[in-house]
Amino acid sequence: MTMSDWSKVERPIPMPTPLTQHFWDGAKAGKIIFQHCQACDNWQHPPSPVCTNCIGVDLKFEEAAQTGTIYSFTVGFHGGDRRFAAAIPYASIVVEMDGSKVLMAGNLLDVPYTEAHVGRRVKVVFEPLTDDITLPQFKLAD
Amino acid sequence: MVWDHRFEVAVSGVGISKITRSSETPLAALAVDAVQKAVADSGLKMSDIDGLVTYAELPASGHAAVDGLTMVSTNAMMTALKLPNLRWHMQNETVNIGGSTQLAVNALIAGACDYAIVFRALHNPPGQYQNLPGKFAQGNSQFTAPYGFGGPAQGLAVEYARYLDRFGQDREKTAALPLAQRKHANLTPEAYFYDTPLTPEDYHNSRMVAWPYRLYDCDIPVQGATAYVLTRTERARDLKPKPALLAGFGQRIQVELNGRISSRADYMGAGGSSSNLTWERAGLGPKDVDVAQIYDGFVGSAIYGFEAYGFCGEGEALDYIQGGRIELGGEMPVNTFGGSLSAGRLHGGWHIIEGALQASGRAGERQVPNAEVSFVGASGANINATTFIFVPEPY
Repeated sequence: MTMSDWSKVERPIPMPTPLTQHFWDGAKAGKIIFQHCQACDNWQHPPSPVCTNCIGVDLKFEEAAQTGTIYSFTVGFHGGDRRFAAAIPYASIVVEMDGSKVLMAGNLLDVPYTEAHVGRRVKVVFEPLTDDITLPQFKLAD
Repeated sequence: MVWDHRFEVAVSGVGISKITRSSETPLAALAVDAVQKAVADSGLKMSDIDGLVTYAELPASGHAAVDGLTMVSTNAMMTALKLPNLRWHMQNETVNIGGSTQLAVNALIAGACDYAIVFRALHNPPGQYQNLPGKFAQGNSQFTAPYGFGGPAQGLAVEYARYLDRFGQDREKTAALPLAQRKHANLTPEAYFYDTPLTPEDYHNSRMVAWPYRLYDCDIPVQGATAYVLTRTERARDLKPKPALLAGFGQRIQVELNGRISSRADYMGAGGSSSNLTWERAGLGPKDVDVAQIYDGFVGSAIYGFEAYGFCGEGEALDYIQGGRIELGGEMPVNTFGGSLSAGRLHGGWHIIEGALQASGRAGERQVPNAEVSFVGASGANINATTFIFVPEPY
């Protein structure tokens, strides 16, 4: 089973907003930064102006754990988006992060796509994409 | 509480444009065609039409919204039709065509208009679907598009993968839905796949698009339009076709958090909040339903609908759809026109039209005998559900 070749993939480049800039600044510094409600302890991502649990507005950007469990996944076989054609088939995963319990998307790197299963343990790795943007990605934790 | 306005509004004429794979004809021309057909089906003149509403979203993300070509707004339709007696018009930005329909219902009950046209036009860009333009990922897609979650297939595939894992379900059982719907499309002359059968072998040999979705688990993107005339029932009785009376409607009042990555699979709350309103207003329940149209942008959309709307229990839909139950002649025929999977991705407009045709006994070869209660889930239970019940008269 071969592995996805990501070297020829032209990933869409994230466009930060004032609210999401904290996440991307964190990723560039090798940290995972999520929004944390000071009133009810809810963590959320993507960031929102209001706590999605308690409607509170006292939200701080804080460092969160870099490990988690695959919550779900899909395997891309469709060449429609030609920017990703070189990597087909590839695993796009959604990870429930330890502690914060937020869901974060990524690709499962360095293993064949057949290794993507619900419940597998993963850890974040950081991949520079441009001078400004570093993408959090995932590898198997074991 | 049972709705005060039960049976006061009805669907009368309906219109479906020519359905093509992509843009051979400018979209506004197709939309006008659908409206003209609906008006003629009612036996009305364009000068009778005094209400107009649409939901105009272009779902092919990243493509430019060009009014008349890639989407058709209420303003564009007003300009095209020059309705001399227009008294009410509107365009909604949420809950899709089901929302437009509910706006028209409310306008009719309020007396803001007498004959409202609801239309929906859908563009399919030329070239391979999901060849998405744009170097940058904006908004919430900045957290998903860089990882290959470019279009709706991947985003909704993770939800279905989670569903299958959560309930220990076999992906291949999914086949029952697209196979049933293709049989129905083969009885629907307007359907994109009217002339094309689908065998179990075709299904199981079809390519995977985004695990766990195979090709035939995805809707067929098309260029086309739907339209229908809504009016108060006492007026509908004087028009050409038998009316389909609206017994109740609902919309989701609980929703997955906008932009949240993937889903906590809480389609039960979202879809259920809409159908509960509908059952209560109509004084009916899932067991009363004779025929159902359940939005099927992807197979999962309908699977969640069966459960959220109460036709079966949570996690049971893949078993529920087996054994011919959902085929014409079965206990609960579903998507009797072929649905988005086989008739064409025109969002919920066609689902509402077929629901009305079944209730008024006008579904031709596809007619469910003695269809007394016709249910419509006009958009995904997992996203922006709106639900309706149409009945013939006498109730």
